Amino acid sequence: MSTETSARRLTVRPLRRVVIAVRGVVSTRDGLAVFLGTTVGYFLLYSVAVGDLARSVTPGEVGLSVVNDPLSRLFESTGPFQYEAVAFIELGVVDYLFAPLTAAVGLGLAVLVGLNLAVAYGAWRRPAACRLPARGGADSTAGVLAGVPALLSGTVCCGPAILLVVGVQATAGILAVFQWLLPVAVVLLVGSLVLVSRRVQL
Amino acid sequence: MSSDRNPSRRRVLATGAALGAVGFAGCLSDSRARFSGMIGRLRTTDDDQPSSHGAINQDPDGPHPLLADDSLHLAYDEDHLASSALSGGPGVDGIPSIDDPDFTSVDNADLAGDDPVFGVVRDGEAKAYPQSVLVWHEIVNDTLAGDPVAVTYCPLTGTAQGFERGETEFGVSGQLVNSNLLMYDRGTGTRWPQVVATGVDGPLTGRSLAEFRVTWTTWEQWATAYPDTQVLTTNTGYQRRYGDDPYGEYAPASGYYANERTMFEPLAESDEEHPKAVVIGARTTDAAIAFNKERLLDERVLTGEAGGEEFVAVAEPTLETGYLYRTDGATVEAVGNGRYRVDGEEAPAESLGLDSVLAFDAMFFAWYGFYPETTYVN
Repeated sequence: MSTETSARRLTVRPLRRVVIAVRGVVSTRDGLAVFLGTTVGYFLLYSVAVGDLARSVTPGEVGLSVVNDPLSRLFESTGPFQYEAVAFIELGVVDYLFAPLTAAVGLGLAVLVGLNLAVAYGAWRRPAACRLPARGGADSTAGVLAGVPALLSGTVCCGPAILLVVGVQATAGILAVFQWLLPVAVVLLVGSLVLVSRRVQL
Repeated sequence: MSSDRNPSRRRVLATGAALGAVGFAGCLSDSRARFSGMIGRLRTTDDDQPSSHGAINQDPDGPHPLLADDSLHLAYDEDHLASSALSGGPGVDGIPSIDDPDFTSVDNADLAGDDPVFGVVRDGEAKAYPQSVLVWHEIVNDTLAGDPVAVTYCPLTGTAQGFERGETEFGVSGQLVNSNLLMYDRGTGTRWPQVVATGVDGPLTGRSLAEFRVTWTTWEQWATAYPDTQVLTTNTGYQRRYGDDPYGEYAPASGYYANERTMFEPLAESDEEHPKAVVIGARTTDAAIAFNKERLLDERVLTGEAGGEEFVAVAEPTLETGYLYRTDGATVEAVGNGRYRVDGEEAPAESLGLDSVLAFDAMFFAWYGFYPETTYVN
C-alpha cells in the first residue's frame, strides 16, 4: 500500500465519515436539538468556568458598557486562551463579560462537544452495523468527558480558578499541566468525534 | 503617559493562540508554532535566557524607577527568589496595570463604608485606591503631587505598597514569588517581587526601590480623615466585574482572605500564627521585624528588637493602622486619643519625632516566607 493511500486512509476517510455522520444527524429534528442544546449548554458552562458569566454584581441592573478601543483591546491575552473583554453586559440576574476571542474559543469547544453528543445520539438511534453494537450512552459520556479539561483551564487573577475552589496548592508541575488542558480537550474531542462517527449508519 | 508595551507582538501571539484553540483536527499541526509562543509566555522557572523573560525585554539603559540608597535586607539571594517564580496563568500584562487612572470626589464615590482602600498623602494631596479595583489590576501608575508613583497591591499576600516609579512604569509579570506579585519595570525590564522591593532579575538586580507609605484602611475612615481625598474609579479602560472579588471578602473576611490555605507553597512556613493573620512588617538594610496588627491595635504600643536595633510600633486608631520607629533609647507610652508621650513630649502616632521606618500590612505566611528569621511580636 502506498504512503499516499495510507495517509488518505488515516485522515480523509475518517474526516469524510465525520462530515457525513454529522450531516446525517443534524438533519433530523431530534439530532439537531441535541446538538444545539449541548452546544449552548457547554458554552454557558465554559463562560462560567472562565469567569465571563457570573451572578450579577448589582442585581436588578440592566446595562451595557463598552471599552473605548475594543479592536485593540480584544487581542490582549489575560491567561491561557483567555482574552480581554470589550463589553460588560448586565442582565439583571447575571453579568456577562464579552471577550470575543474567549467566546470564540468557548464556542469552538462547545460545537465540538455538541457534535460529539449529537453523533453519539445518532449512533444510538442508528447503529452502523450489526458488528458495531449501539452504545450511545458510553459514546456520549466519552464526548462530554473530553470537554471537561477545558472547563478546568480558567484562571482568576493569579492562578487556576479550580485550585482556589478545591484548595490544592499550585506547584510548577501542576501549573505546567494547566497550560495544556485546553489543547488536550480539543484533541480528545476530535478523537472522540472520529471514533463515534464510525458507529453511525451512513 | 507613555507605555513601553509592544502591541503588535502581543496581537500576533494572541491571535495565534486563539486560532490554535479553535483550530480543529486539521489545523492543529499548523498552529503548533503559535501554541509554542503561548507556552513560551507561560514558562515557569527554567528560563535560561538572560536577556528576556517571556515578553519582558531588558534594557540596562532604559529609564529606571527611583532607587533607595541602600539595598534592603533579603533572607534569600536574588537568584533563589528569581528561580522561585511561578507563573499563575496570566502572561506579562495579562493582569493589566492602570496607566491612565481616573479619580472622583468623596461625594461621587460608589463605595461602602467598610470597603478596604489604600490611602496615600503627599504635600496635602490625598488619594484612595479601592481594593475592589486593585484586585483586578494590582498596579496603578499614577502621579501624586506631581511625582510619578506606582501604588501596588497583591491580593494573595495582602500587601499594598507604594514605589517612586521615576520616568518608567511598573507592569504585572504574571509570575509570583512566595505568592507575591512579581512586578517588572517597563524601562529596564528588571523584575521586582513587591514585598522585598528588590530587583531579583535584570539590570537592577540587587538594588532596592524607593518606597513610600501606603495605608490600608476602610473607605469610611479614610474619607472622614481626608474629606477632600480623590478616589480611583472603575473607569480603568478595562471591563471587569468590579465589586466581585474572586478570592473572597474582607468585610467580614471570608474565602481566601480568612482560610488557612495558600494558593502557592510558601518559601518557608511557620505554625506560630494563622497564615492570613495581618502583620505590620518592616525591613531595614539588616533585618526584618513584624508586629501582629490586631494585638497592636489593642495594646497600642509594642516593642521589638531586630538586627541589633530597638523598634517601637504604635497604633493610629482613626485609620486603624500602625507606625514604626527606631526607639534610639527613647521610651514611648500611650496617652490616649491616638497620641503618645515620647520622653515626656506628646505627639501623634504618625509623627513621634523618632526615626521613622516604613511599614506595611501583610499576611503572616507571606512575611514569614520572605523573612523566616524575622522578629515577630505578638
